[in-house]
Amino acid sequence: MARRITIDPVTRIEGHLRIDCEVDNGRITNAWSSGQMWRGFELILQGRDPLEAWLYTQRFCGV
Amino acid sequence: MAKKRAVNLSGVPPGISRRDFIKFCSIMAAGMGLPPAFAPRIAAAITASKRPPVVWLSAQECTGCTETLLRTDHPAFADLILDLISLDYSETLNSGAGHQSEAWRKEIVSDNEGKFILVCEGSFPVKDGGIYCQIAGRPVVEILRETAPKAAAIIAIGSCASWGGVPSASPNPTGATAVDRIIVDRPVINIPGCPPNPYNFLSTVLYYVTFKKLPDLDSRGRPRFAYGRLIHENCERRPHFDAGRFAEQFGDDGHRKGWCLYKLGCKGPETFNNCPTLRYNDVGVWPVNVGHPCFGCSEQGVGFDEPLFSPARPTYITPPTQFAKARPDGGAGGSTLAAAGVGAVVGAAAVAAGVSLGKKDKDHGEE
Repeated sequence: MARRITIDPVTRIEGHLRIDCEVDNGRITNAWSSGQMWRGFELILQGRDPLEAWLYTQRFCGV
Repeated sequence: MAKKRAVNLSGVPPGISRRDFIKFCSIMAAGMGLPPAFAPRIAAAITASKRPPVVWLSAQECTGCTETLLRTDHPAFADLILDLISLDYSETLNSGAGHQSEAWRKEIVSDNEGKFILVCEGSFPVKDGGIYCQIAGRPVVEILRETAPKAAAIIAIGSCASWGGVPSASPNPTGATAVDRIIVDRPVINIPGCPPNPYNFLSTVLYYVTFKKLPDLDSRGRPRFAYGRLIHENCERRPHFDAGRFAEQFGDDGHRKGWCLYKLGCKGPETFNNCPTLRYNDVGVWPVNVGHPCFGCSEQGVGFDEPLFSPARPTYITPPTQFAKARPDGGAGGSTLAAAGVGAVVGAAAVAAGVSLGKKDKDHGEE
């Protein structure tokens, strides 16, 4: 019988990450990683002056 | 026999000399707009009191605010920062993960109820039930709502937490919301900036530790000692603005000569911050001094809102706080406006400037 292990939050990283693993008889049979935060840069950038894009996109990650 | 010192410095973290420690305290006092005489009192508060527990919540952020605090250039100061506060919960720095991390946060909050400082980094999405930022399967805004009432003080660090910042830029896809719009029944100290100056954050924490009360805040919840004046008032390029000398294009003659960046879209005339005096990275730089216009990262309705290269809309018409030398090659007797430029020297001059600015802040009315 497969067991589900979830690690959320994953620490010591930038942002919000979640790891899900399916474990069967001591072996991982399936795994998922998912970002748990979304800001919508794709939508914020629409219609803006391309020369301004750096101002927003450089703020994806501050590390 | 060693002379007895007025301040017991036995609590100074190892690896930091007494001289560096006192210097740090003096810079902090200057940053808060207090006379240097307050430095010993700050030093005593740091060394005597139990380090304040800090719970650091991360929401819609880029971790730039955490980084700005950790990446101060001098290792001694970075150590000092982590020794000033007891950073008990921070997802970026916690060693445990997953359910361990969750259990740890609950323990810290319940053990220190009414005593810990809650620091929020990032905006809190409220659209669609807050699903756009979740920790342990729960919307982070719920964690904020249950943690905030138990905190001694709440600090929103960075523009995102202070007024929405980048995630709240039009069309604000996730309903990114500032902390003080969610926690409305108690004061929230805003330290906006993208990233904010780490010393503004530290000064705020130290003020609280030293005087056991919140610093004087303006109408937007910002400490007046840091956000009492426009960038434009302390800018080292201000004499060029007053003289009508502008860079018209990036790389043109005026730009190379260090003239005013107003026509390139500098938002200094509508942004309240102390960047020109406090500066960044411990090497005395800030955007305008390296040739890029201020884009108003810390000011709601300016940063990530107004077009980047359009001229500012000066709302507050104010004189400069002091007049730097307008002509670099002025020669003897050239300038009657001969006050020292703040930008010339970092360190002692910055401290002196900070003190005088702080005094002037007192008569600076509501923005």
